[in-house]
Amino acid sequence: MLKKIVIDEISQLTAVLMEMGTLIAPVKEISGHNFMEIADPGQVDLDFYNTIMSPKSAFFPQKEDFVRYKTAEKLSAAETVLLDTKPVFLFGVRPCDVKSFQIMDIHFNHAGIIDPYWHHRRESTTIFGYAFDLDKPVDPADFYNTLGISASDPEGSDIFMVKKEKELLLKSITHKGEKLLAQLSALTSATSGDEQYYEEYLQRGKDYKTRFTSVDPEAIALELEDVFENTDFWKEISSACLSCGVCTFVCPTCYCFDICDDTLFSKGTRRRVWDACMFTDFTLEASGHNPRTQVYQRLRQKFCHKYSFHIRKYGVISCVGCGRCTRSCPVNIDIFAFVNIATRAKWYQRL
Amino acid sequence: MSFEPKILGIACNWCTYTGADLAGTTRLEYPQNVRVVRVMCSSRINPSFIFRAFQLGADGVLVGGCHPGDCHYNTGNLYARRRLATAKKILEFAGIEPGRFRVEWISASEGNKFAEVVEEFTNQIKNLGPQMKLKIQEP
Amino acid sequence: MIRFKQIEERLKKEAKILLESGEVTVVLAYGKGYDEKHPMPYAAKKIADVEDLVFNEYCNHNMARYLVRYPQGTKIAIAVKAADSRAVVQLIQEEKVKRDDLVLLGIPIHGMKDPRTGEVIDGKTTCGMYTPVLYDVLLNDDVHGHKISPYDVLAKYEAMDKDERWEFWKKELDKCIRCYACRKACPMCYCDPCFIDQSKPKWADKAPQSPGNMMYHLTRFHHLAGRCVDCGECSRACPVNIPLYLFHKKVAKECEEMFHQKAGMSIEDKPVLIDFRVEDSDKILE
Repeated sequence: MLKKIVIDEISQLTAVLMEMGTLIAPVKEISGHNFMEIADPGQVDLDFYNTIMSPKSAFFPQKEDFVRYKTAEKLSAAETVLLDTKPVFLFGVRPCDVKSFQIMDIHFNHAGIIDPYWHHRRESTTIFGYAFDLDKPVDPADFYNTLGISASDPEGSDIFMVKKEKELLLKSITHKGEKLLAQLSALTSATSGDEQYYEEYLQRGKDYKTRFTSVDPEAIALELEDVFENTDFWKEISSACLSCGVCTFVCPTCYCFDICDDTLFSKGTRRRVWDACMFTDFTLEASGHNPRTQVYQRLRQKFCHKYSFHIRKYGVISCVGCGRCTRSCPVNIDIFAFVNIATRAKWYQRL
Repeated sequence: MSFEPKILGIACNWCTYTGADLAGTTRLEYPQNVRVVRVMCSSRINPSFIFRAFQLGADGVLVGGCHPGDCHYNTGNLYARRRLATAKKILEFAGIEPGRFRVEWISASEGNKFAEVVEEFTNQIKNLGPQMKLKIQEP
Repeated sequence: MIRFKQIEERLKKEAKILLESGEVTVVLAYGKGYDEKHPMPYAAKKIADVEDLVFNEYCNHNMARYLVRYPQGTKIAIAVKAADSRAVVQLIQEEKVKRDDLVLLGIPIHGMKDPRTGEVIDGKTTCGMYTPVLYDVLLNDDVHGHKISPYDVLAKYEAMDKDERWEFWKKELDKCIRCYACRKACPMCYCDPCFIDQSKPKWADKAPQSPGNMMYHLTRFHHLAGRCVDCGECSRACPVNIPLYLFHKKVAKECEEMFHQKAGMSIEDKPVLIDFRVEDSDKILE
């Protein structure tokens, strides 16, 4: 099913979605656009390239409370924080970010250990994917196409949106999306001209080139394993790195977290917060020993986890080429270019 | 029930704390709102104590030390003066009422002064009301 | 006419001489990034590395932050602009590096740009000085004019009512995601462990919400009192655009007024909070 709406009238759609559940959509802030829980239907702004923070916080919030306790009482008296049961609409997610949810599913949502919080949120969310604007130039930091995700890739979205001049076309991809789309009366039916435009757009998206021509994950994994012990190499490329943690926090496929008990006098909360392998004390052990005290060791860990260990363990590269790490890095480190250097540029060239 | 402020008092062992003792032995009356913590010298005070005190619910913080020049350790309070003055300016720029944090030099013989300062400061905090800005509401 | 290309050439020339003669083992300057507007900090160690040195209007990084990474005694040449040179002076005051181990390549310049906004960086977000305070070699002619007081931008905030100011700072600091880029970008934040990483005592929780954020930032503002050289790197590093430079400027202004000394101006000075004068007045406590 294909429907459409005039972009300037998007607040009609967002208002309806807000009534049906919680709407999370991009909002313009001083620093750029970011996903937020929408309180005012007019807040939603689709005029952006990509958000600063990735939408992973819709499923994996930066701070998540689990249990509230009182120190004087028994453990059994502690109350579990209940999850919101309202449906959630995640609106305006770029194809690379939609793909990132599938990669994160490996860690939170697959056989073995299922994270009930991630799982619940995933089940109750309808994803409105949003194709990149093919008439605008590609951001120099991105390389999602090189990793096999096209600029107009509908995979993973429940409803996929494509811009057509002043209108927005919405196509249902999954059964969940189809059901929702049928309910949204604020949308009008699309014409056959629109159908054709949509199909062509998907094709055009495949040719919307990002930098680097192609990537072979197995080859990268192998090369990084080879260069792992080369301390001089890692020291050289980490010379600018501040080891701050920004790249981890903006990355859609980074998932390290810390569990902490925050107690104030007699009340406390057990919660989960994001952690970063780039933090100095990430590997600080109870004995006081820290195996990764040097910046190069932490940088090596980050690169090798995402581009080598993850491929070996799960067969999938832990990156979607969204470019956020490069854009947000305070010292402009270009992570994938370094992977390029590390693997001696044999398997791909810069465009 | 009228508002009874919670005030953290940090007193240096050699001067202010002894002065507070003197106020007690001479049976001077003063409000009970100041909870006194004894430190060996006012320069022991980490400004983070002040910020943390406000976060944990203090309505006011009163620091007492020896008069500059009379520090038991010669120079401790001279460093403390600079450090605490900077802390005060930071709280002020952040928007916390300046009257909530005070530093007083009270010597061991100034029992009267201790009682007066506590009375005056407690009244000042009562007028300012409970401190809600930095106070942590829920953990 | 700002001659970035000429500065770059002179930088390469000086770096080559220094590395060839063995006077230094590393030259800290700038190199190419993924595009023109995003150069990277670069440490040239071999003579061949000198060719990769770059200098353009986006080379804002304060290279002084990398000085503490090298073992004491390493001979280092460092490219410094005005605020960067002040940071080096401050590190010398704090005995983290020795004057004799450094060769300062001073770059007097006005016209540096912020890649996020494209605006020229001046006293509104930085120290307002354009000539290095300490240098061994100058890579450009002295820059005249462009005098703008670094504290003018505070007038608006000082005039605010305290509740208004609290609302402003609460709103800004609520945005903080606790990535600690500000701390890592700062040349003066070299403490290991940093107070915020400590669990005994636990000064603040890790969650990116108001109480922890307030504690982290207010304490950091205090830890940098009299040490911050107003380079503005913390604010440029921040991914959510918190105007940290405003608060640091205010603290620097107050320290200047109370203690009559500016951070990082002379290697003979002692940092203000580990010093005292008998003539310090009690007025500062009012």
